[in-house]
Amino acid sequence: MGKPGSEVINFLPDQYRTTNKLAINHNYLAEQFADHDVILAKIREVVIRGDFTLGEEVDKLETEFAALCNARHAVSVGSGTDALFLSLKALGVREGDEVITTPFTFYATIGAIVTAGAKPVFVDVRDDYNIDPGCIAAKITKKTKAIMPVHWAGRPCAMEEIEGVAAAHDIAVVSDACHAIKATYRGRQAGELGTVACFSFHPLKNLNVWGDGGIVATNSGELANTLRLLRNHGLFNRDECRVFAYNSRLDTVQAVVARHLMAKIDHITQSRIANARYFDVGLRGLNGIQVQQRDSRITEVFHLYQVLCDGRDSLQKFLVGCDVDAKIHYPIPMHLQPAAAFLGHAVGDFPIAESIARRTLSLPVHEFVTRAQQDHVISLIRKFYDR
Amino acid sequence: MTAEVKVPFVDLTRQFRGLEKELMQAFVDVGRSGAYILGPPVEAFETALARYCGVRHAITVANGSDALFLVLKAIGVGPGDEVITAANSFIASAWVAVAAGARPVLVDVNEDLNIDPGAVAAAITPRTRAIIPVHLAGRIAAMREINDIAEKADVAVVEDAAQAIGARYHDRPAGSLGLAAGFSLHPLKNLGIYGDGGFITTDDDALAGKLRLLRNHGLRTRDDCQLWGYNSRLDSLQAAFGLIKLPKLDAWNVRCRAIADMYRSGLKNHVCVPEDKPWELNVYHNFVITTPRRDDLMTYLKDAGIGSAIHYPVPIHIQAAAHNLGYEKGRFPVVERLAQTMMSLPIYPELEQNEIDLVIQKIKAFFG
Repeated sequence: MGKPGSEVINFLPDQYRTTNKLAINHNYLAEQFADHDVILAKIREVVIRGDFTLGEEVDKLETEFAALCNARHAVSVGSGTDALFLSLKALGVREGDEVITTPFTFYATIGAIVTAGAKPVFVDVRDDYNIDPGCIAAKITKKTKAIMPVHWAGRPCAMEEIEGVAAAHDIAVVSDACHAIKATYRGRQAGELGTVACFSFHPLKNLNVWGDGGIVATNSGELANTLRLLRNHGLFNRDECRVFAYNSRLDTVQAVVARHLMAKIDHITQSRIANARYFDVGLRGLNGIQVQQRDSRITEVFHLYQVLCDGRDSLQKFLVGCDVDAKIHYPIPMHLQPAAAFLGHAVGDFPIAESIARRTLSLPVHEFVTRAQQDHVISLIRKFYDR
Repeated sequence: MTAEVKVPFVDLTRQFRGLEKELMQAFVDVGRSGAYILGPPVEAFETALARYCGVRHAITVANGSDALFLVLKAIGVGPGDEVITAANSFIASAWVAVAAGARPVLVDVNEDLNIDPGAVAAAITPRTRAIIPVHLAGRIAAMREINDIAEKADVAVVEDAAQAIGARYHDRPAGSLGLAAGFSLHPLKNLGIYGDGGFITTDDDALAGKLRLLRNHGLRTRDDCQLWGYNSRLDSLQAAFGLIKLPKLDAWNVRCRAIADMYRSGLKNHVCVPEDKPWELNVYHNFVITTPRRDDLMTYLKDAGIGSAIHYPVPIHIQAAAHNLGYEKGRFPVVERLAQTMMSLPIYPELEQNEIDLVIQKIKAFFG
């Protein structure tokens, strides 16, 4: 417990503050909610059945999700964070173990590793924001239990190299695919990448629910069974507890939402890809902007559309001033967060991650963004650098 | 032969139909706001819960299990520590200690189903860090005795109030009787939402601050991660449902107590019924009776179309999960006897008078 009288924190993420909505936004949930009548009727059925915990809708979602990402099994859980955490637990990760991951990620990746009892061991990223596979082998020790690559922004990592290193050392690969539903790597779905692949249904993900939720995809029946125990108090049936375990379930009403939106995932994905291509063409070659190289062997699904830019903070301020919700994901890499102090890292330890953190900017790319809005954003950026 | 269900053990749709218009409007309002995580409904619900429980802080989380677990993490319970709790509870009460890396130390209960303070005192060791008294079935545990023991031993008391929202003890509400308390908002609870949810109450500002960090990735602001934490949040939609129901809770609890009174006077000559002590306000999450003819009575009621259940048929120390803890059968005689003799009768505010009468009449008929 902290010292008495210390600050009481009630932090609410700013993307949920809707009072100061901009014209071109990252948050499109009100638009997505437009056809809620259909879904409300389905939710009402579930509620009238008194079906609130697991049950038929959850089973159907898991079957459909497994098919969607070409995995044998899918196990839904309370959040993307829990998908990662419970996967590590299912693999037996514990106190004293190490898990190799990237410093350029969302807090949950590291939170899952640390709360599972393990030490996060960072490997720098490459220019594509993803973990550098060539640097992983050097970080493997006897304590390494897993590699956790993050398919950042919906771009698959260099999985052949990563899986090769993992196989050579007989360690698991827990893919953080929270951004990467429907992404492909050399013909394989994100759900097929790694020992397990972990997805988030957080409201702003490409496939979302209207609250917290997540799901794990795997081809291992054994891991799937373990995960089913771990997410529901270790209960084998109502009265038989096989292992003391967690409560981390996707609400049944949210499974209805997920199934409703899953029917639209191809449209969502294709819209994001088309919007990203349009930005690529419009922004490539502009002074001050560096558009990413694309790789024809992978499908990026653009949970985020990110560019590297000179004078990033000024550009962001300028865009927001012009009513464009430009965001930074994220300005401070994990190894430099106060929470990581115990690992003893310093500025300069992971120079590429640090450089990206200084220069990256995210532009709205979701399916409700129009061409006219994109043209407007492109012309604003041109204006910013030309002035 | 399956009898037609005349009195279901639970029927959540009755409450839902009564509130349907309000609940659906809340769904649409939150949906249109586009703010589904934390945000205004969660803040408003936390304020209302804190006021209801008579404490400075209520912190909503993903479920009742997490509520207790996060408190243990926040006060630094870890490997090598011991946490004392009741052997007669839902398994989550013991799990929280295991999840924090500590050892759950189980103790026996009294005839009122709640933890035996004498057994708690005997279980204290230098490694004890916390006591988790469970307010089982809506009745608050012997908190004065437990707090005295905890004070002498300098250990924390964390109420497992999952089943006891609105219950009172010497006129103080559940949730205000220890360092902190964990509540569940699971659909079957007296205050139930339409999915998983829970909350923590405490008067301790620093503890509340730490819990708000732990439930949301350790984030102080969007870009400032103070500690590696969890994702354990109540959905805004569910908070909006809770806000609609909370003002009705006291009336619902009054109704459950009235049903309990009817059961008590109708059944006391045939089975052991729960009696309220003068300082208790029991909210009857379950109405638990005991009888040596439990299994036959349950079958008889089932054939008569009346639902009943056992909370819980397998005590925690006998579960496969507890094998490593090394408790043998016979260790907790009261809990083990209760597991053979207790059963729960239907009790919810929407239960009709004719249904209550039928339950009483059938049980009387069974005992002839």
